[in-house]
Amino acid sequence: MNAPFAGKDGETAFARLCEELRPDLFRFAFWLARDRQVAEDVVQESLLRAWRSRESLAETEAAKPWLLTIVRREHARLYERKRFETVPVDDLVGSESPELAVAEEQQTLDLRRAILELEDDYREPLVLQVLMGLTTDEIASQLGLTQAAVLTRLFRARQKLRKRLVAGANEEEG
Amino acid sequence: MDCLEFRRLAGADPQHPAAAMLEHAAGCPRCTGYLRQTQELDRHILAALSVPVPPRHAGRATGSAVPGLDRRRWYALAASIVAGVLVGSLLWVGGPRNSLAQDVLAHMDHEPEALVVTTSPADDAVLGRVLERGGIRLRPEVGTVSYANSCRFRGRTVPHLVVQTDGGPVTVMVLRNEPVDAPVRFAEERFAGTIVPAGPGSIAVIGTGDADLEQITARVLAAVDWERD
Repeated sequence: MNAPFAGKDGETAFARLCEELRPDLFRFAFWLARDRQVAEDVVQESLLRAWRSRESLAETEAAKPWLLTIVRREHARLYERKRFETVPVDDLVGSESPELAVAEEQQTLDLRRAILELEDDYREPLVLQVLMGLTTDEIASQLGLTQAAVLTRLFRARQKLRKRLVAGANEEEG
Repeated sequence: MDCLEFRRLAGADPQHPAAAMLEHAAGCPRCTGYLRQTQELDRHILAALSVPVPPRHAGRATGSAVPGLDRRRWYALAASIVAGVLVGSLLWVGGPRNSLAQDVLAHMDHEPEALVVTTSPADDAVLGRVLERGGIRLRPEVGTVSYANSCRFRGRTVPHLVVQTDGGPVTVMVLRNEPVDAPVRFAEERFAGTIVPAGPGSIAVIGTGDADLEQITARVLAAVDWERD
């Protein structure tokens, strides 16, 4: 099939696909921007761009990585246009941000804080793998890296999180 | 493969261990433990990454997912869907159901390590969390559950369990948000399965040719209690 999202049926299919992926696109944008409002704007703008270009998609299976690419580009574009004030993670954690305040368990809260503190190079591949379900090949393609580099970043990201959890557990015991 | 290489790979992609890793793990209890711990860490990471979504981005809510798609156009889309359902009701049998079955089979490839023959039950705490997240209870009559994971499937988190049976390990996926009108059977080279209506959605049961799917499905259906809608 050359253009699965062309025509009336394509419109319907694309609208449903966006509806289904939208929560995860928001979460992806949130972890890129670490800001709820920015994430909302990024997703809104990304879906608009995607809608306009939907007929260029040649395969249904390519839609998800394509949408993620649009979100990444839109996020970068937004940062080019505006210079956001850098907010220390402690301030974000201390604020009433629902991302941090509504955690089900203390461990989830700690881990969320640790993920927010990860360097972008580590956080982004982890989010793409664990949250978005991309393979390491797909992540490499998405980020323009070699697969070996992706594997290294994913390994180090988990190592850092593991250390944080162990340190947190030790503090609680002490 | 040595332990160092195993841990490097397990730390990078714990949900998709390669055949060489599984071979190494079979003879190395410490690396098996490391893999399980890392998979458990991933479950926590997924929970932490799943931040609350604002209502306008929650999906399947009111209004359009696509900005710029105004109400009139949304009605037109809805009308075209209704027309499609009326005209193409025969396609329902071959379309979405097969698509759901294909997605279930595709998901099986993500966690091949789950399908090992074992008498060891899954960790109680892990199983408890998976069932809780899935909003279900499982009666012990189901048998030995050797594997439990909260998996992403079609954009939602669903319980993925493996039950040990006389015919080998059988995968059970509890699909609260995937209703089917009637049982769907499917088979491919390696697996055969069925998706049956259950609770507010459906349950998929997949095994190899040796498993008595009908009997196991009946047992699973009797053992699952739905806690919430």
